[in-house]
Amino acid sequence: MSDAAERWSDDQVALVDLIDRVIGGGVVITGDVVLGVAGVDLVYLGLRLVLAPAHDVEQSVALGRRSA
Amino acid sequence: MMLLYAVVPADATPPEKRGLHGHRLETIRGVLAAVIVEESSEGLRATGDESRAFAEIICDLATTTSMLPIRFPTMLPSRSAVLAELQANEAAWRRRLTELDGLAEVVIHAHEAEADHELSSVTDGSGTTYLLNRATAIHRREASVAEISELVRAWTREIKVLHPQQGVRLACLVADADVPQLRDAVTTWQEARSGRQAVVSGPWPVFSFVGDQETVSR
Repeated sequence: MSDAAERWSDDQVALVDLIDRVIGGGVVITGDVVLGVAGVDLVYLGLRLVLAPAHDVEQSVALGRRSA
Repeated sequence: MMLLYAVVPADATPPEKRGLHGHRLETIRGVLAAVIVEESSEGLRATGDESRAFAEIICDLATTTSMLPIRFPTMLPSRSAVLAELQANEAAWRRRLTELDGLAEVVIHAHEAEADHELSSVTDGSGTTYLLNRATAIHRREASVAEISELVRAWTREIKVLHPQQGVRLACLVADADVPQLRDAVTTWQEARSGRQAVVSGPWPVFSFVGDQETVSR
């Protein structure tokens, strides 16, 4: 693999990690979020967690099923 | 609405930066800690671009002060609501800020070609074969986590196992000064056997170690 290709790959990994941690890590505060598209507010969510990495959601769903 | 960015020490210098919506970032101060916010009437689209822009602002802020990033996207309706959260949590936040001063997060990705082969063969056969292959893959992953945790133990304060796309992915809490040594150790580990691949990303703000999430090892 060329240096350029390797660097690109590392950059991609870094970007994915950064976004994954921004929405999957950090201090959790009960908050409100208004999600909108093209300047129109579409959904008002009063949730602890609005965005999460897909694997976290899958895990939560699996746990919910197990405890049901 | 107030979009929340990070918890910082109460005496942190106010950031000279603008937020996602172009408004100046403000610091709402308590006695022990403060919260960096952006007041805006706009909603969020919560797109990948917004997440990335938020992340870049957080990384930028982290170069000027110790901080606990706040999960994106979190919005509170008013300044008084932010202040109420601050008053309820600032003692714990201040304690964690002190513990994390001078530390950063790095993420290690590692996988071995042999393990990938085992994982890909998990779907072969059925019944007992499937379960045995699955168990082998899980044991191999656990062994890799233990091996890499031991490899970087000298430089890490805490380690958290993250969900990987393949192989293993570990978030490590490391002193800023120790990041190069950790990277070198991982590179040496990778080069010790053909088929191994490892990437270290960061150093990042301490997203995975803010204090309300379970950590492993150490």
